[in-house]
Amino acid sequence: MRGRGAKIAGVLPLFTLLIAGAISAFDDIERLRIWPLPAEVKHGGRRMYLSDDFKLVTEGSKYGDKSGILKEGFDRMLSVVRLSHVVSGHRNSSGSGGSGLLQGVHVVISSSSTDELEYGADESYKLVVPSPEKPSYAHLEAKSVYGALHGLQTFSQLCHFNLKKKIIEILMTPWNITDQPRFSYRGLLIDTSRHYLPLPVIKKVIDSMTYAKLNVLHWHIVDTQSFPLEIPSYPKLWNGAYSSSQRYTIDDAAEIVNYAGRRGIHVLAEIDVPGHALSWGKGYPSLWPSKNCQEPLDVSSDFTFKVIDGILSDFSKIFKFKFVHLGGDEVNTTCWSATPRIAQWLQKHRMREDEAYQYFVLRAQKIAMSHGYEIINWEETFNNFGSELNPKTVVHNWLGTGVVERVTASGLRCIVSNQDKWYLDHIDAPWQGFYSNEPLQDIKDKKQQSLVLGGEVCMWGEHIDASDIEQTIWPRAAAAAERLWTPYAKLAKNPDKVTTRLAHFRCLLNQRGVAAAPLVGGGRVVPLEPGSCLAQ
Amino acid sequence: MSLRLLLLLICISLSITSSLSSPSPADSPPYLWPLPAEFSFGNQTLSVDPAVALIVAGNGSGSPIVRAAFERYMGIIFKHASGRASLLSRLRFLRMVEYDITSLKIVVHSGSEELQLGVDESYTLMVSKKNEQSIVGAATIEANTVYGALRGLETFSQLCAFDYLTKSVQIYKAPWYIQDRPRFQYRGLLIDTSRHYLPIDVIKQIIESMSFAKLNVLHWHIVDEQSFPLEIPTYPNLWKGAYSRWERYTVEDASEIVRFAKMRGINVMAEVDVPGHAESWGTGYPDLWPSLTCREPLDVTKNFTFDVISGILADMRKIFPFELFHLGGDEVNTGCWKNTTHVKEWLQGRNFTTKDAYKYFVLRAQQIAISKNWTPVNWEETFSSFGKDLDPRTVVQNWLVSDICKNATAKGFRCIFSNQGYWYLDHLDVPWDEVYNTEPLHGINDHSHQKLVIGGEVCMWGETADTSVVLQTIWPRAAAAAERMWSTREAVSKGNITLTVLPRLHYFRCLLNNRGVPAAPVDNFYARRPPSGPGSCYAQ
Repeated sequence: MRGRGAKIAGVLPLFTLLIAGAISAFDDIERLRIWPLPAEVKHGGRRMYLSDDFKLVTEGSKYGDKSGILKEGFDRMLSVVRLSHVVSGHRNSSGSGGSGLLQGVHVVISSSSTDELEYGADESYKLVVPSPEKPSYAHLEAKSVYGALHGLQTFSQLCHFNLKKKIIEILMTPWNITDQPRFSYRGLLIDTSRHYLPLPVIKKVIDSMTYAKLNVLHWHIVDTQSFPLEIPSYPKLWNGAYSSSQRYTIDDAAEIVNYAGRRGIHVLAEIDVPGHALSWGKGYPSLWPSKNCQEPLDVSSDFTFKVIDGILSDFSKIFKFKFVHLGGDEVNTTCWSATPRIAQWLQKHRMREDEAYQYFVLRAQKIAMSHGYEIINWEETFNNFGSELNPKTVVHNWLGTGVVERVTASGLRCIVSNQDKWYLDHIDAPWQGFYSNEPLQDIKDKKQQSLVLGGEVCMWGEHIDASDIEQTIWPRAAAAAERLWTPYAKLAKNPDKVTTRLAHFRCLLNQRGVAAAPLVGGGRVVPLEPGSCLAQ
Repeated sequence: MSLRLLLLLICISLSITSSLSSPSPADSPPYLWPLPAEFSFGNQTLSVDPAVALIVAGNGSGSPIVRAAFERYMGIIFKHASGRASLLSRLRFLRMVEYDITSLKIVVHSGSEELQLGVDESYTLMVSKKNEQSIVGAATIEANTVYGALRGLETFSQLCAFDYLTKSVQIYKAPWYIQDRPRFQYRGLLIDTSRHYLPIDVIKQIIESMSFAKLNVLHWHIVDEQSFPLEIPTYPNLWKGAYSRWERYTVEDASEIVRFAKMRGINVMAEVDVPGHAESWGTGYPDLWPSLTCREPLDVTKNFTFDVISGILADMRKIFPFELFHLGGDEVNTGCWKNTTHVKEWLQGRNFTTKDAYKYFVLRAQQIAISKNWTPVNWEETFSSFGKDLDPRTVVQNWLVSDICKNATAKGFRCIFSNQGYWYLDHLDVPWDEVYNTEPLHGINDHSHQKLVIGGEVCMWGETADTSVVLQTIWPRAAAAAERMWSTREAVSKGNITLTVLPRLHYFRCLLNNRGVPAAPVDNFYARRPPSGPGSCYAQ
């Protein structure tokens, strides 16, 4: 038997290559159970098994992995792969299992860069799983450790459990995957003001983001309803928390940033001023225009801007992402004119309400810049006084169509989150809409296109708490994640073409303990009847 | 014994205040769920050392179960960043702060780790400040078995709260003296992996969450007509009845679930529901169907049917060490037997009615289970249909009729209470208070009959519950039943529960959330609905 096997092995590679070519030519990509779809994939038709002591090797890599980001990523990949079933079979290089055995992943990172997670840094990777003639290693090349993490993620999706041998296998080898994201900003918003989300819940959301290669957690920390975060400079601010225990210490926040960072995910912190900040006044009532007119923040008082400065100063010590989000949406300024003290101030400075709004936003921008941040603001700031915004402002679309076009035409950068398609709290919005929402819709100019950093799906928290956040996010966020990752030419024009692959990804999330909801229907649907995960 | 005396000294009289609306454990204790049998507390606040040391004693001191549980609970108690893991804060506090609780002593008298029905789950928990009058010091859990120690650790973890001002973990209202034991020995939760497959990680999440409410039996309704997900080596085609090759459990997977549950003091009771809920068996072995067009119940005429049952049970016996095994026996529609020629002839040949055949089937399956050293559990229809013929060891599981346990125990059978009107979790229109107020011993007055009610079970049937919603359909309502089954009847039966119980249930629901369990809001009329608007966890 062994002799015969060896003989065939000599013939097969050529044959396999032919098949690989044929499959690629037929563009039968939907048969590949990879989400999001990589930029380029070639594969064969043969089987390999993972060795019992599947190893990480890094010879020739310029990256030292001093803080263990790569090693941890590798361990996570392996434990996730082994989560579906108990691996009780055995394969190793001694004994009969030598042929078709994959002994590990050889990761080579070509830049000697530090661990710093830099926005816009190269996230590309190249993954090769060899053909099974002899015991060997998969090869993963990346420019940065974060690209390598994406590669490991893809690798984990190539692995399956063999129910007969009870070991992990990879089908359709050899694999040759070259991949990189289409957009550098692929975000998910969470909202801890409308409902507090406990630390383990946020960490689980972060873990699930990595499965879909999302890379920005937009943390809408504070809003009208509650102020859960500790701000050492103004220690009464978190008096605005729902209760003494629904809070994050500054150490908790740093831990979230660190946890996300080690997974290649940036944390974008937001304070939404001046319109969504009522809870600030619980600790410092003078931030309110008056006791009975509590929003927006008092534009006339220097104390308001001192507090903003204190918050952003504290932020700058833990939120290391180059951007901070200053909100600026839905500002109803009637409290300003209705409060005599502020009305007088407006008169004195010869400002209308809308000018005071502009004054507020621009002053907050300057404070943020003084702490080294670039600013993101919601689109109303652009719609109202776009020409006055700092030229480095990134405008965050949510309301309308056409905004992205106008923003980029004016030379500003933009993030796409149009609510009709990418607001996850719109639970009647089906995944097909999430998939089809094209950030570059109607933008022909290359330069303008390059100003669209990417997009973000928003999980607003009015009806979202620890009990239903996962199933409201997933699987619809995954549909958007592929739109943001995969090259435009590879995206399905008709989303129904990817249903099987997305259903598979949803089941994979389930297998990894993520409560992703069925596909059939809108968001957060419950299964209507018994059935297979793959069919619901 | 000397401990007891000492405790009497440090004991402060038991007084539960009536307004429990505040969510701070500092205000109105006890925020414990389920409520312990006996407890007393004082008014000191004690700090807990993030490096609290485990001291074990007794014959069970070498138990890896205790050690693993200690590590788990340390992770839960010190989950904030400035907690156990942070060396920096440790250094910062080292010189300035002296902690009150620096060690947790766990005394386990028995060296046996056997987990069976009725295992001693009692424990005593004492928490007090080290001082000259007290030789106790720190925290002590004393239990007869490792499983009692696990229950004590859970209670200890619920006494600990993170204080956001000092950024340390504190125990309020010390000293504490708690003496606790369960009211019922069987406190179950059913999961159904036939209507929807539940991945291993999800089953583990469920088991972990059960331990927080001191539930102790996972009733695993593995197979039903829709799918057969479990590997049966003796009949390897059976799991062809799985929904897909992705939606299967290997023998090793099942063993891992049993092991994981045992580490948390939870038994796994497996079920094969014969003959009425077994259509999926025939995907691999069509001979088990009466015919290709009439597929349920299992073919009563063939020895092969019983060979397969025997094979399944033999394989399962190697996986499931619990003494109870569930054989189902509910909702048997015998129409197919009547309509299939060869079955009809067989019935005529034996002069059987279809009801006789149903009895024949169930009793024969019982004997197979008994031969494998199992105590059979059957759904109540078997008792209602031919109760006097059931093996006297049978445990009858109620679901349909409210007085079944009353009747079954009167006949000397043991009984498990699962009345569908209250304890079926898939009934989304049963609010928490109705779950809470349901009393398994209702209408059973004879003391010897009461003792035959071994406990109760909430049932999470899977028709509309998959991975995406199973945990929030289970919690928080399963907790309401869990307290009913653990705490004393007096404690759960008095007063206006909206005042006395609801704030504590809110607190427990938030505790589940804080531990990563997606327990749904308590206040919604329909289960597993999203919160109605922004708000505090403690008020929804």
